[in-house]
Amino acid sequence: MAATTTAVPATGAAALARSVVKHRAFGKLLLLAVVAAVLIPVVNARWASGTWPEALTVDVSDPLTKTSDWIIDNRDSHPLFLYFFGHVSNAVVLSVRAVYVVLLAAGWAGVTAAAALIAWRVAGVRLAIGTGVAFLVSGLLNMWVPAMQTLALMVVAVLASVVLGALLGLAAGLSDRTYRALRPVLDTMQVLPAFSYLLPVVLIFGIGVPAAVIATVVYAAPPMARLTALGLRGADGGVMEAVASMGTTARQRLLTARLPLARKELLLGLNQTIMMALSMAVIASLVGAGGLGDRVYQALASVDVGAALAASIPIVLLAIVLDRVTGAAGERLGDSGSSASSAKSGLVWWGCVAVGAVAVALAGRFTDRLNWPQGWVVNIAEPVNRAVDWMTAHLYSGVPYVGGTADWAGHFTTWVLDPVRDGLQGLPWWSVLLIVATLAWLIGTWRTALTAVLAMAAIGALGVWKPSLDTLSQVLAAVAVTLVVGFAIGAVAARSERLERLLRPVLDVFQTMPQFVYLIPVVALFGVGRAPAVAAAVVYALPAVIRITTQGLRQVSPAAMESSRSLGATNWQQLRQVQLPLARPALLLAVNQGVVLVLAVVIIGGLVGGGALGYDVVFGLAQGDLATGLVAGAAIVCLGLMLDRVTQPTERRTRKGA
Amino acid sequence: MTTTSTASSSSPSSSSSASASSSSSGGVGKAGSPVFAVDGLWKVFGPKAERIPGDSALTDLGPAELRARTGCTAAVRDVGFEVRKGEVFVVMGLSGSGKSTLVRCLTRLIEPTAGTISIDGEDVRAMDKARLRELRRHRASMVFQHFGLLPHRSVLDNIAYGLEIQGVGKAERRKKATEFVAKVGLEGMEQRKPGQLSGGQQQRVGLARALAVDPEVLLFDEPFSALDPLIRRDMQEEVIRLHREEGRTMVFITHDLNEALRLGDRIALMRDGRIVQLGTPEEIVGSPADDYVREFVRDVPREQVMTVRKAMRAASGDEADRGPAVAPDTTVSEAIEAVARTGSPARVVDEGRCLGVVDSQALLGVVAGTGRPADGTGGPADAVPDADGDAVPDADAESRDARSAGEGVA
Repeated sequence: MAATTTAVPATGAAALARSVVKHRAFGKLLLLAVVAAVLIPVVNARWASGTWPEALTVDVSDPLTKTSDWIIDNRDSHPLFLYFFGHVSNAVVLSVRAVYVVLLAAGWAGVTAAAALIAWRVAGVRLAIGTGVAFLVSGLLNMWVPAMQTLALMVVAVLASVVLGALLGLAAGLSDRTYRALRPVLDTMQVLPAFSYLLPVVLIFGIGVPAAVIATVVYAAPPMARLTALGLRGADGGVMEAVASMGTTARQRLLTARLPLARKELLLGLNQTIMMALSMAVIASLVGAGGLGDRVYQALASVDVGAALAASIPIVLLAIVLDRVTGAAGERLGDSGSSASSAKSGLVWWGCVAVGAVAVALAGRFTDRLNWPQGWVVNIAEPVNRAVDWMTAHLYSGVPYVGGTADWAGHFTTWVLDPVRDGLQGLPWWSVLLIVATLAWLIGTWRTALTAVLAMAAIGALGVWKPSLDTLSQVLAAVAVTLVVGFAIGAVAARSERLERLLRPVLDVFQTMPQFVYLIPVVALFGVGRAPAVAAAVVYALPAVIRITTQGLRQVSPAAMESSRSLGATNWQQLRQVQLPLARPALLLAVNQGVVLVLAVVIIGGLVGGGALGYDVVFGLAQGDLATGLVAGAAIVCLGLMLDRVTQPTERRTRKGA
Repeated sequence: MTTTSTASSSSPSSSSSASASSSSSGGVGKAGSPVFAVDGLWKVFGPKAERIPGDSALTDLGPAELRARTGCTAAVRDVGFEVRKGEVFVVMGLSGSGKSTLVRCLTRLIEPTAGTISIDGEDVRAMDKARLRELRRHRASMVFQHFGLLPHRSVLDNIAYGLEIQGVGKAERRKKATEFVAKVGLEGMEQRKPGQLSGGQQQRVGLARALAVDPEVLLFDEPFSALDPLIRRDMQEEVIRLHREEGRTMVFITHDLNEALRLGDRIALMRDGRIVQLGTPEEIVGSPADDYVREFVRDVPREQVMTVRKAMRAASGDEADRGPAVAPDTTVSEAIEAVARTGSPARVVDEGRCLGVVDSQALLGVVAGTGRPADGTGGPADAVPDADGDAVPDADAESRDARSAGEGVA
């Protein structure tokens, strides 16, 4: 094209114009420009203001306060609460308590033995040792009781999530109509930050274990439902046809073919549900979950990094163990060798596991060692705090040449976060909507653009325009850093086998950790404020972006790479002209995932001084001011929706970052 | 069928089986009523498909026009045929000709749009769900191109699957499945998973699974297309062997002409959803119905398909008394050998009667494809009962393996 233009300027320009008009993106832009040209003068004349105009906000805090008051007043008398939520709440409390009592009765030895034996049975010796170590470390760190509280809550929440998710997934997998209705809901729930689930649950159940469990179930059930539906729908058509050709009934088809064929997806769903449940069970400490999350939360509130670390190590170990064991179980199921004899021997094995666990538990009971012996506790809080103090004294600022971590954080805040925030807040409100519409439409369809604009408008209407833009500025800064670093590392890892091998276990670990945990090291390094929130978000989102980028670049067809090499392309030319264009869908997905993950943590950053919407939620919970919290929660939902839609490539993948 | 089985006790021949047709045209082909009778069958995909078959303005349109006019695709157009008991009925055509859709219509895996299908005289399209299940469970089993095995089950349990569906007890179905493991030559692999088997082995499992329910008809949907050529050949021989041993009726879909000629007693050649020619391999190769079929069979080694029956002329002079004797269904290539060895025309002898002679001229004509158009029965020389009836070369017997249906079916 360029050559044509220089050679014959006139015809070249004409051709350029033609080709541009034909291009879809240009048509969209043209249409948007026309719409904007018509609407903006009108809008600007009526509601000229930089921030969202007062006239267009709806005051929801009054009705919300009234609703919340009404619920609090009627929680013990209204039939809806008496006969439905009351029973749900009681059932949750009872079952969590029952599991907790069983765990305590088994004693630390019994629980550790049972966990290790189960891990050994489904995942092999190495993971069994890992599991045992994880539990013992929890005890060593004096976190046995909180760990059991978290575990009890998890067990109940995971069971409920799996049952609920599997039922929904079954319905969606077998009925097209249900699937069409359910899919957008599940897709959307997948991208919402965990924080936004807390408030509505608290509104109904009040602060306490039931709210925590219900929030966890609502957060963790969607992946199970999604993957169940996907697995059932994705059954090999050839096999299903063959099975039908043998005269099976619908029931037989489901039980003998469709469900077994979907077993990989079912196990992946179980794995994701467990991981999300753990993540949420920790965050749900804000609404009364107790356990490990609560310890972290309390420690963070008083910036006691040592105590937070002591509580978060068991969380991380638990997460890794749960992920690896369920993952390994899935793989084993995928390619198990013999089946005929294994059913019977499997029972025998499980019997042995049960007997072994019970024996250890009884031994513990008779030797009167139910509780973790106090003599075996290692107190890491103090040394860690000393280390942090040392860091504060020596690394925070004034390190020659490089400055200090606090200096960096400060610079990042003043030079990046503040300008972006002020810029966003200084933009006329309609231009923000216009930018959102343009981006969403260019990347996606008019539907996604419309959803995004409506979501953004809803934020304005809720009256939280300013804090939302504050949050947005943090998200944008974090996403920019994440993408630059992530794409760079991803591109290098895609070229170097060795680097990828080195990175893989690190990424695996980072991807399994609950969001909450990321706050602790950044607080230690950067203190509190918006910069640490952004840093935590970057660290949380980076592994997924690196992984998707690497996979996307690697999956570029070897034939295309080979042919470009045979034409004598340099490495750089290959990357720019072959790999990047072909990996475009993967890169877009990486952007999308990066945005979603960053948002989740930026919101949680409200706990460590991130301010904005996250702080509103925390404040609402802490002060019992549900109206503020609910509005902020709704704004988070809208922001999440908007960010997802703006970056949504046409097709989605199933799994977060994998 | 039993007659054929006994007649073909000698060892199977791999190379010449394509040429085979029924051993004694009079004796076997009569085998009674059709298993499947299909008439006026249509399968149209697309919006309001049911209006197409009845509308004569639309039925005459070509595929592209039909698509443009109605948005519909007629995969099967007004197809009718009968599958006789014990025969191997091959439906062959290129991809997109509608053959796979056709075979799925037989057990209503795909619901036909119009027409009638009956199995043993019973209307398939009128069956309710339970009856249809019964049909699929006991009367017609299918073998698929991509096997359709359950990946989470062992070979044994895959083979027993059909029995399990029927509610057969575990011990019994395992025992039965074990028999079929042996029958398809998979001994020692009972506990493997399909993913651990090669393509050919997987298809043996598919075949055993279909056989294990002892169906009246076996339906094959391009079963060997996904296999390597050598394994494909093995599997074809396996099917020929099974057919010879059990005499089961088979409907065999393929896009491979050589496979069709090797296996088929009769072949229906499909194009754009219609059957363009239906006949024995010899008829298809010897007298193509139109240019499409002619083009299709152009490269077929004619001498291995055509029999001397089609090439012979009336004996003149003393030809009826000398020269090597061959049976009417000897292939031309075998006759060439006989003629070349003796240097004189060969007599075509059936049950002691000399039907005619073939000389090198006629045989070369067949090979070159310039021979006179076959006129079916040929001009039999006036029957001269001849004592030389025994001289029919034994070699012929081996090529009569799996053929049962008679000849000369239009």
